[in-house]
Amino acid sequence: MKRILAILLVLAMALSVAACQEKPVTGENQDPAASQQPEDVANAAQQIIEGKEFERVYKTYFTSSYASFNYYSTAYATVREIIANCIDGLVEPNTYGVYVPSLAESWKSNEDQTVWTFKIREGLKWVDHTGAETEYEVTAQDFVDGIRYIGDPLNGAYSLRVIRNLISGLYDYYWTLDDIDSGTITDQKREDVVASFDEMVGVKAVDEYTVEYTLENSAPYFLSLIESSMLMLPVEYDYAVALGDDFAVDNEHMLYCGAYYVSAFERDKAITLTANPNYWDKENITIDTIEYQMIPDGTTSLEMFKRGEIDYASVEAEAYLSLQGTEWEDNLLPTSHSFSTNYLWLDFAGENPEFNKFINNENFRKALMYSLNRESLASLREPVDPSRILRNTINAEGAIYDSNGVDYTDYSPLKEIKETDYNQPELAKQYMEAAIKELCDENGNIIGCEAGTVDYLPVCSFDVDGKLPVTICYVGTDDESEIIMAQLFKAMIEESIGAEYIDFQIQAYSGWTYGTVADPLNYDIYFDSLSTGYADPSGILTRMTTDGAENVGKYDVPEYDALIEKALNAATFEERLQYFAEAEAYLCSNGFVIPFISSLRGYYMSYSVPYTSPLTLYGNTKYKGTLVMSEPLTKAEFETLDAAYEIERAEALSAK
Amino acid sequence: MENMQNTKSSRTLNPLKFRAAVFDNMLSEDTGYSNYSYWRSTIRTFFKNKAVLALVILISLIIIMSFVYPLVSPVDPNKVSLFPLEWNNRPNSEHWFGTDTLGRDIWTRAWYGVRNSFLLALCIAISDVGIGMIVGAIWGYNKKLDPIMIEIYNVITNIPSTVYLVLLAYIMNTSYLTLFISMASRGWIVEARFFRNRILSIRDSEYNVASRCLGTPMRRIATKNIIPHIISLIIMEAALCIPYSIGSEVFLGFVGVGLPVDAITLGNIVNQGRASFTLHPYQMLLPTIILCIITVAFYVIGNKFADASDPRNHV
Amino acid sequence: MGKYILKRTLNSLITVVIVFVSVFMLLRLMPLSGYFPQEMLKETDEATRMSYLRNQGLLDHPVVQLGRFVANLFQGDLGRSLTVYPKVPISTLLAEKIPITAAFGFSSMLLGIVLGLSLGLLMVRFKDRWGDRLGTGYILIVRAIPNLIYLFFIQVWVSLWLDLPMVFDKDIPSSWILPVICLALGSIAWYALWLRRFMVDEENRDYVKFALVKGLPKKQVWKRHVFKNAIIPLVIYLPSDLLFIISGSLVIESLYSIPGTGGLLTTAIKSQDNNLVQVIVLMYAILSVIGVFLGDLLVAAVDPRIKLTEEA
Repeated sequence: MKRILAILLVLAMALSVAACQEKPVTGENQDPAASQQPEDVANAAQQIIEGKEFERVYKTYFTSSYASFNYYSTAYATVREIIANCIDGLVEPNTYGVYVPSLAESWKSNEDQTVWTFKIREGLKWVDHTGAETEYEVTAQDFVDGIRYIGDPLNGAYSLRVIRNLISGLYDYYWTLDDIDSGTITDQKREDVVASFDEMVGVKAVDEYTVEYTLENSAPYFLSLIESSMLMLPVEYDYAVALGDDFAVDNEHMLYCGAYYVSAFERDKAITLTANPNYWDKENITIDTIEYQMIPDGTTSLEMFKRGEIDYASVEAEAYLSLQGTEWEDNLLPTSHSFSTNYLWLDFAGENPEFNKFINNENFRKALMYSLNRESLASLREPVDPSRILRNTINAEGAIYDSNGVDYTDYSPLKEIKETDYNQPELAKQYMEAAIKELCDENGNIIGCEAGTVDYLPVCSFDVDGKLPVTICYVGTDDESEIIMAQLFKAMIEESIGAEYIDFQIQAYSGWTYGTVADPLNYDIYFDSLSTGYADPSGILTRMTTDGAENVGKYDVPEYDALIEKALNAATFEERLQYFAEAEAYLCSNGFVIPFISSLRGYYMSYSVPYTSPLTLYGNTKYKGTLVMSEPLTKAEFETLDAAYEIERAEALSAK
Repeated sequence: MENMQNTKSSRTLNPLKFRAAVFDNMLSEDTGYSNYSYWRSTIRTFFKNKAVLALVILISLIIIMSFVYPLVSPVDPNKVSLFPLEWNNRPNSEHWFGTDTLGRDIWTRAWYGVRNSFLLALCIAISDVGIGMIVGAIWGYNKKLDPIMIEIYNVITNIPSTVYLVLLAYIMNTSYLTLFISMASRGWIVEARFFRNRILSIRDSEYNVASRCLGTPMRRIATKNIIPHIISLIIMEAALCIPYSIGSEVFLGFVGVGLPVDAITLGNIVNQGRASFTLHPYQMLLPTIILCIITVAFYVIGNKFADASDPRNHV
Repeated sequence: MGKYILKRTLNSLITVVIVFVSVFMLLRLMPLSGYFPQEMLKETDEATRMSYLRNQGLLDHPVVQLGRFVANLFQGDLGRSLTVYPKVPISTLLAEKIPITAAFGFSSMLLGIVLGLSLGLLMVRFKDRWGDRLGTGYILIVRAIPNLIYLFFIQVWVSLWLDLPMVFDKDIPSSWILPVICLALGSIAWYALWLRRFMVDEENRDYVKFALVKGLPKKQVWKRHVFKNAIIPLVIYLPSDLLFIISGSLVIESLYSIPGTGGLLTTAIKSQDNNLVQVIVLMYAILSVIGVFLGDLLVAAVDPRIKLTEEA
């Protein structure tokens, strides 16, 4: 019963992903396949594929140096992608985004989805960096040990919060160990607590090939969490513990159980993945070798793609314009989706008395909200169809679905916010005037606001006079593109609200000082992004409560907190989403945070056939099944394949 | 050369052709006087070269332009356009050198940039070379100071500048003053060592040994004998300082002690244009040309001035 | 001489200790939040962060940390990187990176000296004629155009014209050519510029005029006197330059994707990887005092007028 429900849910979700995927731009000839019969489209797609020759090597690149391969403590996208291909999880999405067996052959959950049981494939061995089988077998215990590993504070697992709060007992286990380490608890021995892991924490190996997770709350989204979180991956505990800090510092100090293993590793330079000869699903491996090399510079990677030295290159807005009218124009393909949202943080408890007075006024926040020309901002990243990357909500559209296949962002009141056009300078001005009426006297003095010096060091310090215009200190990174965005903010806010009311100052900090900017509130407005990590709004929203980790602006929103509380205790998933939607709408409509665009970055060029890889919406790119052509894909081919894919997916899903 | 040897070999004088002169008091006073002036000769020699004259005029024009243009121009160099169509425009009648990523006029920004960068560089050059020269002269001349100064030099140059620049960024606002302090924080000691090494090889010259034997005070030897001797080096170092400081501005921005983002300097503009260099090369055109002219001009002027300041070249 | 060397060594040791201790302490003035990359800071709560810092020993008193570092140092343990390459032993990192950078640095230094001195001589030999103009033109181009622009140009266009690889690959010998040339461009200009300057200075000296008047062949005067005297001020930097080739170039290594040490220190400082910073600073400080010492010895050796062995 539960399994059927799970499949249903996943099915519905995938269906709606198909429906809601951000539509690529096609210029004047909108969707050439739309008017054709499904069979024709499928045939056309078939012809494209058949006419191609395929390579067994895929060459790609990464832009910044990566640290170790320790998947429990990495924040690097490249390492996460490599791990996704080298270590399999319990389940994985297929090309349509439906969860299919991976290391787990089957799974089930109980009635309220708090206990999940996975049956592990038998007889799989871990392999080393030469691809040779080791003595270690992949068992249920390896998954238990994964949690055991991250549950120990000494191992410094990264991004632990969601899992720590979800798996029952893990939170207490972690903090008890930590209290012992810090000397807060002296009556318990560390070894005793470590030994009690199996009783304390809700993960156990029922038998050699069955692992069972017991969760604190109902989690219908658990499979998507398995896809997205590195922390749910298995580990050979004795092996890892014996290595200590050396575990996974390079390819030789780790074991693999995925489609590939890291056969060569040159720090800050190159990584080679080789297909695992002992892989359980090796028939579906279409690439024998994946070669990564480090190319920090975007222009270099583009140039190398043109020379055929790499098989993929991302194309940012400026490069896109420069490629138009060249032979590469036909190879520019639109990127499909990004669940990451760019938004403005506001500082509710900063030292700037002028901003402080105003930001706690609802009208002022709305003035800010309506003053942004989002299309202009989006044009910096997507010059052709900027509207496709606008986003007014915090959680992304197309990321979360209820069991009826309804998109989370289509829940009222979020739907209204999603559909509002916030580029309304006149309205912004009206709201600002209303705010001024409430907060200032006739001479433009801000009531109750003293002149003084604002100390935002190390970022900046400046003087305020307690009069209009309101001085706002915007802080962003010194990245060139972000400075440009900041300058655009300044122009649009001062233009719509009026420079006589607002003095927008830009301060750039260099990336390393993030902790000195956001945490101690050394800013008035701050630009950041958040990403929907798995198929549930809780990932972001529970962090944004009054005492949440992500509330760096220190706003005080009891109404929101109450809604989150209700959502977490909701009886059904739909009810949960409803409360979350109301909570998110509350934050957005009152301007506590101002989301404006998605993090999507325009275009790419590639030699690989789209939709042949697993549709990893929440996790990292997997190359299982990816077809690599000997020539770059053209836009026309992409459009046909895209149309065929959607029809196919709908068929595949309804057949299931 | 053969003539000389011939003259040397004819040792006897023909008494018919030569006779002893009578001592004339007035005439002896006369020969003792010459209206030679070091600086006047230097400047005269310097301007004798027409190319140099042209460069001096060109650079003066650029500098005057950069100071006058911002005063008279109605265009706001920081005026951002909200319309993507006005971004990255190619050169046209309205914007002579096009617009940048946010539709700001490159022509206007370039002149603001030249003015700010030039002022900043001038301050750095004065502080680096000025302090460096004085310290270096004392250091090179006075042996007793040598070990202490070497120790100071070693400590200052061995602490990676990034370490204290990061800390400096931590306690100070982004401003021209901060930028100046960070740029000038170590240049002087490097210059001082450079001069010290030169002075080391000059101080034992015969004329200085002689001078010391005659009891000339150290200070006098340093100011009268050594500094004029290395004036060519001073001028050249100062001239090279200016393009260098424009370059290092970019690095400092990278570390976090840069200027406010609204501030316009050549370093800033070049750095912004670099990102889109392959895509919109024209954006780099004007700032790079001006930067090149300034660098070349200062280099040539420095070199020629150094030549002109050498008294042996004064004819 | 032995006494002098002993004394210098002792002095150098003091310098190294002062530099190292002050950097070590300065690094501890950095805020604790700096130990976390942005993503990590957003993902973790205060308590988790403190627990991490405590486990890394970063909450101990700086003096305790210094003591621990020195104790480990004597056991040959340089520690592990904190933020840039979490948990990777620093000795491994350096052992991987230094040889690559040193190979590039050494080749380019050789190229720089050979071409730079040749160009300098050419300029003096044909002073105020084509050779001089050619050299001056080169020096001006290298110095006047912002280096990022011409480096970029070389990487994108020259590699296309000459059909050379755009990025470094240790298996392709031709991929060394462009980075080495790029690295040498600046030093060629530097050597040429100063050699010319110093030789012109020497040329005007009385002893040169005298030697020529005395009838010594011009070639011999130049080789024996002018060149020798002019090169002395350049020689003093030679040992330092040689030792510091291991520091690498941030821009060129990043452009050609060379996995060397260029930018390692800057990255480490910016990411507040104190463990890595202190090791690099220590290493550079030692190399630098050795370099200066050798430079002075070398000058004393080649220039009989300079004596540094007297009581200092």
